[in-house]
Amino acid sequence: MSPSWNRTSPAIVGAATALAVLTACGGGGNGSNDSTDGTKPVSITFWGWAKGSKEVVDAFNASHKNIRVKYEEIPSGNAGGYAKISNAVKAGNAPDLVSIEYPMLPEFVSQGSVQDISGHLTDDVKKKFLPQAVELTTLGGKNWAVPFDASPQAFYYRKDLFTKYGVEVPTTWDEFREAAEKVKKADGKARIGTFFPDDPTTFQAMAWQAGAQWFKAEGDTWKVDTSDAATTKVAAYWQGLLDDGLVRNNASFSPEWTNSLKSGGTIGYLGASWGAGVLTGTLPEQSGKWAVAPMPSWDGKPASGMLGGSTFAVTKGSDKTGAAVEFAKWMTTTEDGIKARIASGTSSAFPAAAELRPAAKQAFDATYYGGQDIYQVFEDAGASISPHWAWGPSTGTTNTVIKDEFGRVARGGATIADAVRAGHDATVSELKKRGLKVEG
Amino acid sequence: MKATRTHTAAGVLLTPFFVLFTLVMVVPIGYAVWLSLFTEKQSGLGFGGKETVFSGLANYAAALGDPAFREGFAVLLGYCVFYIPLMIGGALALALLLDSTLARARRFFQLALFLPHAVPGIIAALIWVYLYTPQLSPVVDAMEAGGIGFDFFAPEGALPSVINIALWEWLGYNMVIFYAALQAVDRSVLEAATVDGAGAWRIALSIKVPLIRASVVMVALFTVIGSLQLFTEPLIINKGTGSSVTSTWTPNMYAYTAAFDRNDYGLAAAASVLLALTAALLSFAVTRFTGRKGKKA
Repeated sequence: MSPSWNRTSPAIVGAATALAVLTACGGGGNGSNDSTDGTKPVSITFWGWAKGSKEVVDAFNASHKNIRVKYEEIPSGNAGGYAKISNAVKAGNAPDLVSIEYPMLPEFVSQGSVQDISGHLTDDVKKKFLPQAVELTTLGGKNWAVPFDASPQAFYYRKDLFTKYGVEVPTTWDEFREAAEKVKKADGKARIGTFFPDDPTTFQAMAWQAGAQWFKAEGDTWKVDTSDAATTKVAAYWQGLLDDGLVRNNASFSPEWTNSLKSGGTIGYLGASWGAGVLTGTLPEQSGKWAVAPMPSWDGKPASGMLGGSTFAVTKGSDKTGAAVEFAKWMTTTEDGIKARIASGTSSAFPAAAELRPAAKQAFDATYYGGQDIYQVFEDAGASISPHWAWGPSTGTTNTVIKDEFGRVARGGATIADAVRAGHDATVSELKKRGLKVEG
Repeated sequence: MKATRTHTAAGVLLTPFFVLFTLVMVVPIGYAVWLSLFTEKQSGLGFGGKETVFSGLANYAAALGDPAFREGFAVLLGYCVFYIPLMIGGALALALLLDSTLARARRFFQLALFLPHAVPGIIAALIWVYLYTPQLSPVVDAMEAGGIGFDFFAPEGALPSVINIALWEWLGYNMVIFYAALQAVDRSVLEAATVDGAGAWRIALSIKVPLIRASVVMVALFTVIGSLQLFTEPLIINKGTGSSVTSTWTPNMYAYTAAFDRNDYGLAAAASVLLALTAALLSFAVTRFTGRKGKKA
């Protein structure tokens, strides 16, 4: 967009990739450095963005002599972090260990950007984790990442305002709609929650909770099904809330949304376990006013999907796989690792490793939630995560298209069902283009 | 003998240019063309790695066959139809105003109008996104209070929103170019016109504008090519809001999304090459068209 100099950049992408290749020639190639028993510590680099990562790395470095971890904070995955990782891998100057959320892991595996770490993950390590989390990191019979948190869904709400408006905490989606109506009636400017047009994974977690199964691998064929009863029901339900103006329609964590939380214009948040720490950090002045409830469900019985959640994967080019996995295991399976993260005060991660949960709960300062035992809420929700969901190998394409269409939904140009349909079609044609067998 | 020496001197003086030209222009473009001829194929469920295979013009067919890519060009067309006349007309009007005898405090206005251009495009876009956002923006609040409800992120609001940012950024810059050209106009011609009884309007339209035609053509050319590269402002709007500006809103954004969100470098390269070709054709058309008109006049 600058007439004076952009004449020289008609092929932005070409230039960027050429640059990547040039840098590739310069970096890398310092021989195998995988021994962790030598006198000189092995240095590894770790890229992530999850809250408390810096504190975890500091604690690890302070207690370990054989491995030094260098932490570099990158933008969160959807805000450009994933693109950064992909480019670094292509350029050959990637860090050794990276954060990848469950939805994107299959995409990274199918792009060949991460290593098979099956040889470094023994069965007694794997059995520490929630089985659903191991399932989501096992693709084609191999382990590709160390799961960190389980991120069951949760409903955060302003306890003080719910009481003031005389609204009961909903346990079913029907009750949620009634509660939404009551909130709007009590204060015309207040809403019970938000539809996030920029974040398809929130909607996917809702579909997951309702029992949908968008991707299924049968033999070597992908079956894609987004027109099932569960997805259709969830799409129609949210479309109804939007049409009747019962929920807000703002990008997640946008200034607009945060502002509405500050002003009491948004008094609920349908999120996941990690959201507790985010609220604490974003709205410190509302301490003591929030509470956590299980996600409403369709039949009133506990049910949950997973929204986000981090795993740690070793990049393709790294020759320090052993050290990287060892550090990842420390972060995900040791009490010291989880305590360091939660004690940072910004993280409310719910570990996938069950035996760490008491330590996590103990380290979490629940003052913000009036001392509520929020880890018990997560525990119950975690146990109810539906095991049937799998992510497809082209989440980048699927979710980019859905996000674009959700933007139109936000402004009245399309429906949620249209958006899901568009995402479905784009996914099927992307898989076909890659030469994969696909039905749907 | 003399000719040889001149040749050597020219060769020495031109070498740095050609080296840089090759490194930063020819090689990247060549690489983009090369990339655009390949695609990546996988087998099984796609978790067993991938291989790069030659696909001829398949990426070009895929880009041209994708409605999102074609819509990007439609958006660009709409953008150019409004943006270019507004920009050229606005910058010219402001320059003529500054140059007219009526203007006071010239230096102040020159600086004030140029100042937005000193703000980097990305910062400008962030500022404007803030000003467009309902519930945050004092402007939107004021408009609502005045009974004007306008959603800057709605489908019908997206184009005006982006055009407004671009105008804000570039109007002053182009105005300065026109103003500088106007300074070079021979004052005696203007005096002669005044003596002949021409008013300020007549002088501006019949004498000043024709005399700075070359500058107008140059600015038009740069604006057309710049418009094709439309990227930063809509990308910021796309990333920061749930708006109707999609991730493939302009062809440049399409290429970016293909490469960095969808990991399809072949498609991205093909889209970039197609866009570059369009820019080359348009530049050629603009220079030819304006050049011919110049000869007739």
